[in-house]
Amino acid sequence: MRLNEDPAAFEAFYRRHVDAVLKFVARRVSDPHLAADLTADIFLAALDSAHTYVPGRGSEIAWLYGVARNVVSAQHRKAAREARATGRVAGRRLMDDDDLVRMEERIDAERRMRSALEAMAGLPEGERAVLELVAIDQLTVTEAAKALGIRQVTARVRLHRARKALENVASPAPVYVEGQA
Amino acid sequence: MSNFEERLLSALKEEITTRTAEDKMTTTVTQVQRGSRRRLAGLSAAVAGVAAATTAVVLLTGVADNPAYAVTKGTDGSVSVRISAFTDPDGLEAELANAGVKSVVDYLPQGQTCKDPRGEKGSVTGPFSVSVGSAGGGVSFTIEKGRVPAGETLVLAVSKSEDGDDRPPFGVSLTVVKGAVADCEPTSMPVPPAGDGGVTVDKKDDGGAGFDFRTGGEDEGPSLDQKTG
Repeated sequence: MRLNEDPAAFEAFYRRHVDAVLKFVARRVSDPHLAADLTADIFLAALDSAHTYVPGRGSEIAWLYGVARNVVSAQHRKAAREARATGRVAGRRLMDDDDLVRMEERIDAERRMRSALEAMAGLPEGERAVLELVAIDQLTVTEAAKALGIRQVTARVRLHRARKALENVASPAPVYVEGQA
Repeated sequence: MSNFEERLLSALKEEITTRTAEDKMTTTVTQVQRGSRRRLAGLSAAVAGVAAATTAVVLLTGVADNPAYAVTKGTDGSVSVRISAFTDPDGLEAELANAGVKSVVDYLPQGQTCKDPRGEKGSVTGPFSVSVGSAGGGVSFTIEKGRVPAGETLVLAVSKSEDGDDRPPFGVSLTVVKGAVADCEPTSMPVPPAGDGGVTVDKKDDGGAGFDFRTGGEDEGPSLDQKTG
């Protein structure tokens, strides 16, 4: 994939996935400006790591969600904020009033998923990551494993443990079960 | 598709064009920045909590004023290793041997690592703490006492940065192998995304391109080289 060199290839890639990325972000942050920034950051990071994508070894979306997870993680946000001060592509500057309203609608639509994510906050990171991608972002276990760079069997074990752990929580959030489809 | 999405697409396409142009000019500054960003996407770091060896005896370093590596034996029997430039793997192996640790060290170009597995898993499992780039660009780690028992070998494979031998590496694989160690068969190394199960990552606060990471859980063994899709 020559994503980072060929604008036409990138455009096709972008159009295939921009909606999924916007939803991914809306499930994780509630500030529309931040959501716009993160969306831009995720695609920029995809350009940066285009060389790590090997076509035919896992789906594009699994790879992209792996990238997106890094970008949305709190540690990265801090670094990205600093980088953005001098950066060329700042998501929030690309939004007009209509876009802002639509972004807020997206965020509102994903409210239920955000509370489900909060319910998972207590899980160990490795388990939470798998459950998040499978239950919230609707990846298959195989895709989630690829997004996280772990073996499929490891992903299955972690998913199982995560579900078990959530069953034991005193007030479980039933939402995550519905989310897995 | 709406306005924001279209505008973002245009901005990103412009970015691609700009970057391609910059690559042709080979602006050093730009390359360094992009290199560290790439690693940011790939690596990362939990605070590794490396048990610092207390009183340390420096056994030997490479060249006196600019050592490529330092092997230090702690009073608690641990061996600390700091590599500041990825040159002279044989010298590092010899140093480690002096400190009582049998090792196989390979330095590879960016994006390459040795094909797994290199041999039978070592008898002691659990996470290895590795810190990358915290001390000016290299890698440091501590081998606790008994971590590499007799008959076992510490296997280190470093995927160097394309920015130079003394830059923070693109990737590090640190494992312990029981018995014979297979020769390094170079293979391309996909970078595991940050924050996944096997590797916990956090950007360090001491600025720059410093990362610590902790490898492997119980189910993964002490290896960083997980396969991505």
